[in-house]
Amino acid sequence: MIEICDVVKSFGDTRAVDEVSLMIAPHTICALVGTSGSGKTTLLRMINRLVEPTSGNIRVDGRDVMSVPAYELRRQMGYVIQGHGLFPHWTIARNIATVPSLLGWDRRTIDRRVDELLDLFQLDPATYRNRLPGELSGGQRQRVGVARALAAKPNILLMDEPFGALDPVTRGKAQEELRIIQQKFGTTIVLVTHDMDEATHLGDRIAVLDKGRLLQHGEPADIIANPATDFVRELVGTTDRAFRLLSLATLGEHVESGTADGEPLEATMTLRSAYSELLWSGRKAAPVARDGTVLGIVTLDGLGRLAARP
Amino acid sequence: MMTILQTANSASFVRRRLDPLGVVVTAVAVAGLFLPFVIFKANRIVPGEGVPLWAALPVWAAIAALVGLGSVLVIAMLRVRGELKLAASGAGLLAVVLLIGLAADTMSPQDDSLARIGIGAGSWLLILALALMLTDALSRLDPGPWTRIGSLAFAMVVFGAILGSGTLNELSILKEYGSRAPAFWQETRRHLELAFGSVLLATGIGVPVGIACHRFSAMRSGVLNLLNIVQTIPSIALFGILIAPLAWIAANVPGARTIGISGIGMAPAMVALTAYALLPVVANTLVGLTGLATTTVEAARGMGMTSGQRLWHVELPLAMPVILTGIRIILVQNIGLSTIAALIGGGGLGVFVFQGAGQTAIDLVLLGAAPTVALAFAAAVLLGSFIDLSAERART
Ligand SMILES: Nc1ncnc2c1ncn2[C@@H]1O[C@H](COP(=O)(O)OP(=O)(O)OP(=O)(O)O)[C@@H](O)[C@H]1O
Ligand SMILES: [Mg+2]
Repeated sequence: MIEICDVVKSFGDTRAVDEVSLMIAPHTICALVGTSGSGKTTLLRMINRLVEPTSGNIRVDGRDVMSVPAYELRRQMGYVIQGHGLFPHWTIARNIATVPSLLGWDRRTIDRRVDELLDLFQLDPATYRNRLPGELSGGQRQRVGVARALAAKPNILLMDEPFGALDPVTRGKAQEELRIIQQKFGTTIVLVTHDMDEATHLGDRIAVLDKGRLLQHGEPADIIANPATDFVRELVGTTDRAFRLLSLATLGEHVESGTADGEPLEATMTLRSAYSELLWSGRKAAPVARDGTVLGIVTLDGLGRLAARP
Repeated sequence: MMTILQTANSASFVRRRLDPLGVVVTAVAVAGLFLPFVIFKANRIVPGEGVPLWAALPVWAAIAALVGLGSVLVIAMLRVRGELKLAASGAGLLAVVLLIGLAADTMSPQDDSLARIGIGAGSWLLILALALMLTDALSRLDPGPWTRIGSLAFAMVVFGAILGSGTLNELSILKEYGSRAPAFWQETRRHLELAFGSVLLATGIGVPVGIACHRFSAMRSGVLNLLNIVQTIPSIALFGILIAPLAWIAANVPGARTIGISGIGMAPAMVALTAYALLPVVANTLVGLTGLATTTVEAARGMGMTSGQRLWHVELPLAMPVILTGIRIILVQNIGLSTIAALIGGGGLGVFVFQGAGQTAIDLVLLGAAPTVALAFAAAVLLGSFIDLSAERART
């Protein structure tokens, strides 16, 4: 549980973060969105004390962050810095091992953990373990940055635009990996992004920042349906908000009864992808299957109703 | 008569086939040929008279020398492979050194032990020209750090072998050496103690001060201004300024004299050399640390490194190439400056330079100056290679 209460951060005359209060429930992903310069990074960095608030306080699991030594606090949280920030003179393995080493894990446990993480991020350990960051592609470096943050199995993960440099395909994969890790370990994640799709896709809740102020905080569907201000409406985008809404749920959650012909669609598919698929193949309905068993059908009409303003 | 087209063609031929630096090398070398190759002196302190190459050598050697040198210069002027230029200039340098020895042998009268053969201006110009060609070829080949260290070792072995073989023994500078060999090695040791000792001290003080300047920006301008002022004091004046306070300390602080502190001698020389070396070390440490990518440093903080861990594991290793560059500068600088220590009784190779100057014995000056230049050069090559090696590890 992360509790941010009336936090202000001023740099000279500018208020980078202006009286923000925000509760982040355990085991959830909170996406911080906003335009460039809106104070996302500053707010995130106050959670691990890389920035100290001008006023207000932040509690993590009930404890004021200012009451523990900063380095101890930071070792308990994973941190993915904007633009990877790998140590250029250390091998990939040593980079990933940073926090476990600081915590004094023994050599063997660390080695095992490093290989496990490299595997998880689809980087062959034998190939990549002893490379230097300079010998990786930008996308690989970013994944190593995320692996480094996860190394000591933190309960809390702070991520600052972790997938910014990835192409859409790799980005999608990385997002899936993150979701799986989060569900498996119940990590509480604060994710800074300016990509609204990423926020709606990954966030259990979305917090919208503008000029340091928190404009709205709520579930993605709620924010899409009822933007609190014109700014939020603009950010969410009015032209494709119906599709955004559809991308929030999967077919499995909205199976209709009945029968239909043709290739079945997977139950894990988002409604948005299913809609696109139906339009593409010129069908009005299609069967929905999970692991080969047909559960029911999905129809264009049904999807249309789900996409309408709630 | 040449047409415009022909003129243009021959101009472009010149541009395509001629190496501009080679033309300079050739001009210098040819000028060197017409200047005295060696100098014959009735004794070690009279000015002596110059002898050109063809008069100083046996006929066969003179002809071989001119032909050999001519081919080296042709190679210098043409645009050919760097390896060929390197080999030609290396062989040329070796030949010039051996020819100087041969000339000294040839010219030395059997029965006159006072007569001296010195190295003439022409030889120096030839050596300069060939060294220019050699360094140019080397830098174009852009050898890696290990190759540079290897080449340096190779050159040292070759030169050591020539000295050891006795080929140059008739040369005046080696006669000066022969009559004071123990003193030479003692002063060389002292010279190295002064140079390396001051560099060690300056590094030991300067790096922490640089780190402090980086961490506490309030110190920064004060410290840098002070060190800048020190740099502007002429070295001889700095030695002088130190005599009084150090003499006072020696006289008044118990125990100071026993650890070697006194108004003249090695102590003030060491202090002054250290003071000069501080600015480059502090400045480079500061620049190295300030220049680090902020994301890297912030990542170190964000991972939970304490400030000491951050410094030791991240900031210093990454700033090391820049810090080492500062150390290279001061090492070369202090190997040179240590010469002046002799003026206040600090010893070092400067002893021969100033003795020689006092006696107008130019070869004695050379006995002090030549090893100093060689040491500075070797130090520059070695540290430069280390910097490259450490930068290789720290690349982004
Ligand atoms: N150390 C600092 N000193 C002065 N001003 C700062 C500092 N850090 C941030 N700011 C200012 O605070 C404001 C918010 O910056 P912040 O980095 O939090 O934005 P952001 O939302 O993360 O933007 P981006 O999407 O571009 O990363 C900006 O106006 C920025 O200029
Ligand atoms: Mg940011």
